[in-house]
Amino acid sequence: MIHLQQVSKLYRTDRVETTALDNINLEIGKGEFISVMGPSGCGKSTLLNLMGLLDAPSSGSVALDGKAIDRYGDRALSRVRNERIGFIFQQFHLVPDLSVVDNVEIPLLYRRMSNKERRKAALAALDRVGLGSRTHHFPTQLSGGQQQRVAIARAIVGRPNILLADEPTGNLDSQMGDEIMGILEDLNQKEGTTIVMVTHDPRMADKTHRVVRLFDGRQVQ
Amino acid sequence: MTRHLLKLVWNRKRSNALMILEICVSFLVVFVVATMGLFLLDNYRVPLGFEWKDVWNVRMGVGRNEANAGDAAAQQATLARLFQEVRSLEPVEAAAGSFVVPFDQGGWEGSYRVKGRNVDTGVDRATVGFDKVMGLRLVAGRWFEEPDATQSWEPVVIDQDLARAVYGTADPVGKALFDPRPDERPFRVVGVVSDFRKGGELLPNDNFLFRFSSLDHPEGQAFRNLLIRVRPGTPPAFEEALVKRMQGVAPDWSFEVRPLPQVRATAFRFFLTPLIVAGTVAFFLLLMVGLGLIGVLWQNLLQRTREIGLRRAAGASRASVHRQVLLEQLVLTSLGVLIGTLLVIQVPILHLIGVLSSQVFTAGLLVAMAAMYLLSVLCALYPSSLAARVQPAEALRYE
Ligand SMILES: Nc1ncnc2c1ncn2[C@@H]1O[C@H](COP(=O)(O)OP(=O)(O)OP(=O)(O)O)[C@@H](O)[C@H]1O
Ligand SMILES: [Mg+2]
Repeated sequence: MIHLQQVSKLYRTDRVETTALDNINLEIGKGEFISVMGPSGCGKSTLLNLMGLLDAPSSGSVALDGKAIDRYGDRALSRVRNERIGFIFQQFHLVPDLSVVDNVEIPLLYRRMSNKERRKAALAALDRVGLGSRTHHFPTQLSGGQQQRVAIARAIVGRPNILLADEPTGNLDSQMGDEIMGILEDLNQKEGTTIVMVTHDPRMADKTHRVVRLFDGRQVQ
Repeated sequence: MTRHLLKLVWNRKRSNALMILEICVSFLVVFVVATMGLFLLDNYRVPLGFEWKDVWNVRMGVGRNEANAGDAAAQQATLARLFQEVRSLEPVEAAAGSFVVPFDQGGWEGSYRVKGRNVDTGVDRATVGFDKVMGLRLVAGRWFEEPDATQSWEPVVIDQDLARAVYGTADPVGKALFDPRPDERPFRVVGVVSDFRKGGELLPNDNFLFRFSSLDHPEGQAFRNLLIRVRPGTPPAFEEALVKRMQGVAPDWSFEVRPLPQVRATAFRFFLTPLIVAGTVAFFLLLMVGLGLIGVLWQNLLQRTREIGLRRAAGASRASVHRQVLLEQLVLTSLGVLIGTLLVIQVPILHLIGVLSSQVFTAGLLVAMAAMYLLSVLCALYPSSLAARVQPAEALRYE
């Protein structure tokens, strides 16, 4: 489904050149639940950005269903992001000026559907993460765990078949973390969603099919 | 998407309020200037009712001896001799006396009663030949003739406006005008001319009434202005010759010659200068507001890069981000324009300005709206294209 071939990512700033990823080869199959582990700064978020088509590699190729992403134009790329990929960010990235339900609706705004359908889908997604009663709050009025769940609802509202989760349980206590892990496992098992999850928690990684370990931009093991 | 944007704008109302206010104020300023301009333009399109190109005005000051003596008959005699002299000059095609001078600031406004209601009108007292000098177009009846001076009624010539105001569609010629006053001969209409716009092209078309001033029979206030139609192409040097000849007839009178094109230019300056000043002020205001708008949009963009990155990650294309920024700006502009319109609408509702026609008013509104939308789009173009260029991975990295 997602295929990374000799992927490297370099960041050049004024003074330094950072190799965030170095020659990564990775094949992720349909319906897999994979965790990515490694110390801070080893390139986990960078890897997720490449898989989520948010960034292009410095060298190597990223292919989705066998088609290299550098073959897509902006419009087509946006469409793939919209229809096939759900992103849960490390820092939630909720829009502070929008209510919970409006935040969740965002991916659906870029699809052809009625306001009513959008609202219905957003409420269903919020229900699924157990936030059905907080739909008209603003992000600042929620706890960290609740914000994380809004971010999950937003990532799954469009029923993507790939879910990229950057430390979805990192900011949560273990009970809340388990709950969220439950939601992800549920999506993976019941809907066959392919999931790539960054985590620092070996307990969470154990529950996934496969662990990819990164160290200093390189794949270890 | 529109609903989403409305919500976004509403939820950001505190940071948007200032921009809406700026747009509203600019809208009002543009409306005022545009309406002023359109008002003058609207007036300008209407026919003037006279021809001014080859007409000269001679302002006469009565000699001290005659003035001191209060000797009306002597003044009258001098005037008659002056007329004779002027008419004998080769470049002069026609000459007439008049109380007021077209385009000139000075004027004479009368208010008369017609069947119990008041009719306001501009008034002039003019001599025989005034119609020739000014190129008036008679639509009914005739201009004054000397025998009119000795009738039991006072002859008047009215313009079509006044005719309509008093008689509606009926033929006014031969009819009495206005309710009679005890101390005056009753007015009787002898002729109707097409709308006469003494104030010139820039002022609204008003009613006009000519009363008769006889050269033989002094009555009322004597005219102090000579209007002379000269042959086309008469050189300005004739001005000096003219004064010299008149001075020869009346050595202690004073004469000041002003070609009507010059009087007209002065009048135009008088009415256009405020418009130009206001227009310049409005232009700089718009410039300031425009630059401010760009600044605010830019600032917003910096504050909202993460939101933009998030939208891009969620499937917004560059084009839809571009569109969103423009649309948000248009929503804000619409709010400012809406508030401005609600304020401006009070003018006709409360009958604040009578002279504004509803067409001019509406056109002023449309111009102001168009100006604000144009300004907004222009100012949003660059920031929105910057927004479209936001790299999602970059934008979402920092906390
Ligand atoms: N836009 C960028 N410009 C410069 N350097 C960058 C950029 N993005 C990432 N890096 C660098 O690339 C390396 C990998 O960053 P990345 O965010 O992928 O790490 P991470 O594994 O997600 O870390 P953490 O666990 O702290 O989130 C780091 O050294 C980081 O400083
Ligand atoms: Mg990271």
